[in-house]
Amino acid sequence: MNTSIDIIMLVLIVTNLLLLGFSQLKSCIRAVACQGIALGVLSLLVHEDGLTVWTVVMSGVVIGLKGVIFPRLLLGALRETDARHEVEPYIGHMASTLAGFAALAASAWLCSRLPAFAGRVTPLVAPVAFFMVFVGLFVIVSRKKAISQILGYLVMENGMYVFGVVILREMPLLVDLAVLLDAFAAVLVMGVAVYHINRAFDHMDVDQLDTLKG
Amino acid sequence: MTASAFLWALLLAPLAGGLACLACRTARAVLRATVLGVLTAALAAGICIGMTRASGSIAAARGWLCLDALSAVHLLVMMTVFTTSSLYMHGYFQPEILDGALSLKVARRFSALWFGALAAMTLVLLSNNIGIMWAGLEATTLVTAFLICIHRSSASVEAMWKYLIICSVGVAFAFMGTLLAAAAANGLHLPASEALLWTRLREHAGEFDPVLMKAAFVFLLVGYGTKAGLAPMHSWLPDAHSQAPAPVSAVFSGCMLNAALYCVMRYVPLVEESSGHAGWSLRLLLLFGLASMLTAAAFIVFQHDLKRLLAYSSVEHLGIIAVGLGLGGAGTFAALLHALNHALCKPLSFFAAGRLGQMYGTHDVRTMAGALRAAPVWGKALFGGLLVLIGAAPFAAFLSEFLIVRAAASSGSYWTMGLFLAAAGIVFVAVLQRAITIAWGDPVAKPNVEHADVVDKALVLVSLGALLVLGLWIPGPLWRLLDDAARIVRGAP
Repeated sequence: MNTSIDIIMLVLIVTNLLLLGFSQLKSCIRAVACQGIALGVLSLLVHEDGLTVWTVVMSGVVIGLKGVIFPRLLLGALRETDARHEVEPYIGHMASTLAGFAALAASAWLCSRLPAFAGRVTPLVAPVAFFMVFVGLFVIVSRKKAISQILGYLVMENGMYVFGVVILREMPLLVDLAVLLDAFAAVLVMGVAVYHINRAFDHMDVDQLDTLKG
Repeated sequence: MTASAFLWALLLAPLAGGLACLACRTARAVLRATVLGVLTAALAAGICIGMTRASGSIAAARGWLCLDALSAVHLLVMMTVFTTSSLYMHGYFQPEILDGALSLKVARRFSALWFGALAAMTLVLLSNNIGIMWAGLEATTLVTAFLICIHRSSASVEAMWKYLIICSVGVAFAFMGTLLAAAAANGLHLPASEALLWTRLREHAGEFDPVLMKAAFVFLLVGYGTKAGLAPMHSWLPDAHSQAPAPVSAVFSGCMLNAALYCVMRYVPLVEESSGHAGWSLRLLLLFGLASMLTAAAFIVFQHDLKRLLAYSSVEHLGIIAVGLGLGGAGTFAALLHALNHALCKPLSFFAAGRLGQMYGTHDVRTMAGALRAAPVWGKALFGGLLVLIGAAPFAAFLSEFLIVRAAASSGSYWTMGLFLAAAGIVFVAVLQRAITIAWGDPVAKPNVEHADVVDKALVLVSLGALLVLGLWIPGPLWRLLDDAARIVRGAP
């Protein structure tokens, strides 16, 4: 059981580092999609005391939303905007990946300082959750394209999902659903916003959104 | 039974209103249906608040929905703002209906989002489950994003994107905080259906893991604080407030910021109880509150755009509320009173700014000089609103700010008092100077003719009248409601 959870954690770490290193937006979207599928599987694995119908359904919903629907929406938005499909980071891919490693080390250190997380499920889980939040934030602030910021937001949200699923185990179903619904709406709204930005400015480089000041 | 029926009605009324608007056939009918729907919701809210007064709190859906004194105060604030803004909307959109800028399609979209915002904020206030409360607040961000750019321009799209990203990321932090708070309560082994219920958590707050709970509060304060516009996370706020249409700015400033701060208020007693009432969370609130007041003061001094000025004034006032909460004791009561006062006068100022903006074609204060003569109704409204906002006596905001200063003095926090007075003083001088320019300055531009119908005049008169009365005398039931709410935040039984 714990070995398979650790495998999932490794998948999450690798997808994060890939996200930091990829130069094509399409590949980045696919990396985040893989992460979504891994999360769905994770929510099946943590329930060691037998699967209920609801856990299976929830895991299906997670895989469907985060693994299939979100990526499709984002790829669709990418097609609509005929901008160049490169990531255009402020910080180079190499430096970003190194920053990712640093964030991993920092979150491991952070969690070793918090005794409340010791001995929960496997020692990898809490650091990975924090790592994903850091990576998400890093992607949001270090990339120019609006779609990258949506991806960063999704990774952050995924990190919190890991935290919720593993540390709490029993989130009430309704809350789980509400959170997923919000994530869905967020991606939808942000996707439409990207479309509007593209129409109003003929690009989706958020570094050029700087007329409002002071 | 009846109580829970009314709670459900309150939650579902906005949804019904939204559907009704989608069925209307002209833009004017849509606006009328909006007013009607909001009034219905306000009526339901009034009944629910009345019921709360009789029995302390009312609940529905197995305790997942709950209305107590604290949420009742915020419900009152929210319904006041929504009602006045909906009434104002009719006049505000009139020119745009005439020149065809507000087509049926746009009007429908606007009203549907308007009701969506109302529903989401109602959910935040009614939800007893801290997870659903979070979901409701995140939903307000998503729903209101497109209200900002209902007038499509590149500036409004930019403001919308900043708002969307900054607030989504901020509120995501609050989700981390919610999870950490739930983890802090994990040792209690509550059943899953009750694990996140605020009332249950409140009962057992003494048994929480204090370290985790403190970590949770940091995330919650930063997260919800972003949405509440506390400095230094306020950067989205001036852009969004200045680009949104006036009724939307009024709702943003008058109740959406308060709804976010309300979420923080829910956690204050939990943190204090778990860490032995050491005042740790209060000191954090005080810090953010003072930072907001000082930041806002610095920006207001150089601000010439009226709507941005009002936006920074919102940062200042949310800071004042946070300072009041941070002082605890009598300060908590004053903070809640200030939230109510702010909700009465900030929308009024935005209404006036919106209409004057339409007349002058700009929001630049220097161009609007002499507005009192050109626009007797909205000029007076703006001048009065600005006077109330800077805390001029004998209006209501003066009373609540005075109570906060007194709470600071009586608790011996003279640094707080000094910084508070300094920031309030700077704002006073800077805004008063602009208010005088707007009122009596030598006219620079030739504005369009002012249109103010009966509803507009009544709005101005009632708002200013209420602010004057509240500054002199607070009715007994309102006093008791605020007092009960303050007791919930203070964590007294």
